[in-house]
Amino acid sequence: MSAYQNTEQMKGDFYTQKFEAGKQDGTLIINMGPQHPSTHGVLRIVIEVDGEYIVRAEPVLGYLHRMHEKMGETQTWGGFIPNMGRVDYGHAMAWNWAYVGAVEKLMGLEVPEKAEYLRVIMTELNRLASHLLWWGAYILDLGAFTPIMYAFDDREMLLDILQRPSASRLTYSNFRVGGVQMDMDDKCIELIKAFIPHFRERLPMYHDLVTENIILRRRIEGIGIIDQDMCRRYGCTGPVVRGAGVPYDVRKSEPYSVYDRFDFEIPTSDSCCSAGRYHVRLAEMEQSMRIIEQALEQLPSAEGGHIVDKAPKPSMKPPAGEAYFNVEGGRGKIGIHAVSDGSKVPYRIKLRAPGFSNLSAFAEAATGTLLADAVAILGSLDLIIPEIDR
Amino acid sequence: MLQALEGVATQCVAKQDPAATGHAWSVFLAPGQILKAAGKLFEAEYSLEDILALDVDEGFLVQYHFNRWTLNERVVLRILVGKDNPVVPSIASVFDGAEWHERETRDFHGVEFEGNPNLVPLLMAVEDKDLFPLRKTDKARKSIKDLFSLGEVVSCSAEVEALFTEAEAGEASDA
Repeated sequence: MSAYQNTEQMKGDFYTQKFEAGKQDGTLIINMGPQHPSTHGVLRIVIEVDGEYIVRAEPVLGYLHRMHEKMGETQTWGGFIPNMGRVDYGHAMAWNWAYVGAVEKLMGLEVPEKAEYLRVIMTELNRLASHLLWWGAYILDLGAFTPIMYAFDDREMLLDILQRPSASRLTYSNFRVGGVQMDMDDKCIELIKAFIPHFRERLPMYHDLVTENIILRRRIEGIGIIDQDMCRRYGCTGPVVRGAGVPYDVRKSEPYSVYDRFDFEIPTSDSCCSAGRYHVRLAEMEQSMRIIEQALEQLPSAEGGHIVDKAPKPSMKPPAGEAYFNVEGGRGKIGIHAVSDGSKVPYRIKLRAPGFSNLSAFAEAATGTLLADAVAILGSLDLIIPEIDR
Repeated sequence: MLQALEGVATQCVAKQDPAATGHAWSVFLAPGQILKAAGKLFEAEYSLEDILALDVDEGFLVQYHFNRWTLNERVVLRILVGKDNPVVPSIASVFDGAEWHERETRDFHGVEFEGNPNLVPLLMAVEDKDLFPLRKTDKARKSIKDLFSLGEVVSCSAEVEALFTEAEAGEASDA
């Protein structure tokens, strides 16, 4: 052993050393991340491999931890809304909604019907953008470059639509307690109406290009089994639980807003593997379009404005109490537990991130698979690290 | 009545208004009962949503949110532990996902979870593991009774009821 190998740095940090304590003979410990491109940001996974097979894995989080919950306790109720767009850049609107929904619950505020429709349309468009981002990046992780160009082509159109009523393209924070910041203009509605038939034509092309590709199928079918029992033990939600054959969707099971007025299905897959989660997400895009179409139809007859009259100011004081509000985000159930002491600063904001619970199942799902499969499993969980680390 | 928790010694069971709080049931437990309660809820097909702690005058209120896939009936289990020795048994042996939620709660509030297989910092850095960013200052800290109400009580021990009703007497003695 050379002198170089004996330096302190070579021992690894706290997590590597702790992980190494349980090492078997003849295995190798490697750190995947925090800079690995397939970890979508700064996720680190310590993996023990025997040859190419994963014996043990442990995600190490916290590289993107920003303590949003503490920020919530240091600024006004209204001032915390922009944080929501930064928690999950993929599906920012769902986080916006979960937060304002919790505050509205605390205040007992009724949101105008029109604002509810605007929220539904924008959140579903954002869900499409989120799934497209996942789709392109997932295929990229698995080694195919072209699909992400198609996905971003379509996603660009969605961002053009969403920037009109929200004035931003990624970290949306246009929801307000009592409604949304701006109404949709005619041009925006026109763009949405043009986008849906366009995207309906593109989806079959996505399937032709990628879904039936034998290389992709061999990479994801039967890989990363997360079944119903695991989902319940780890608290997985969203496409992960639906990919295990459970038709659980907060939009149906706990209908909030006007979701009970729309006719849509919950796509599921019984395969429990990465391919199942892939199919669920692609099928969900069609359902989101159905919801948007119905919402656009019903929008002209909706009553009220885009925000409630005399909407609360950012320095509002919700009465003392607690409220738990959850919505269905692109990655699963987003829950906000807000506690108010009656002052203009929240007493406690707990953010329940779906990716956090979904990722916690990774170690068990990856055990016994090939190292290259770890990438396929991570991608199939649709991880957004800022949401997991918060 | 909450069927799933039959046989568990609860300190207080109260019905909540889901439209106002998002909870259907609020249950106070002694720390020793949490593992049994979690086991019962697992059998009744509940899944764990999250675990959080609340820093209050009386100590740390550790809260567990459970819900079901088939029926929307959110149950919140609450355990009040003292400030000097905040220890709660871990439920990671029943709900594996609880391991991370417990580690997060330990990072933020310093509540220890006895029996957690891997109680090392999750979100906080190792060198900041005793920082506990979400602990309140004495000035900002409030009492449970100022934060939320008990709801429609089904059965309740005197101790828990006292947490919510002592308001006037307590304030009078301070003055």
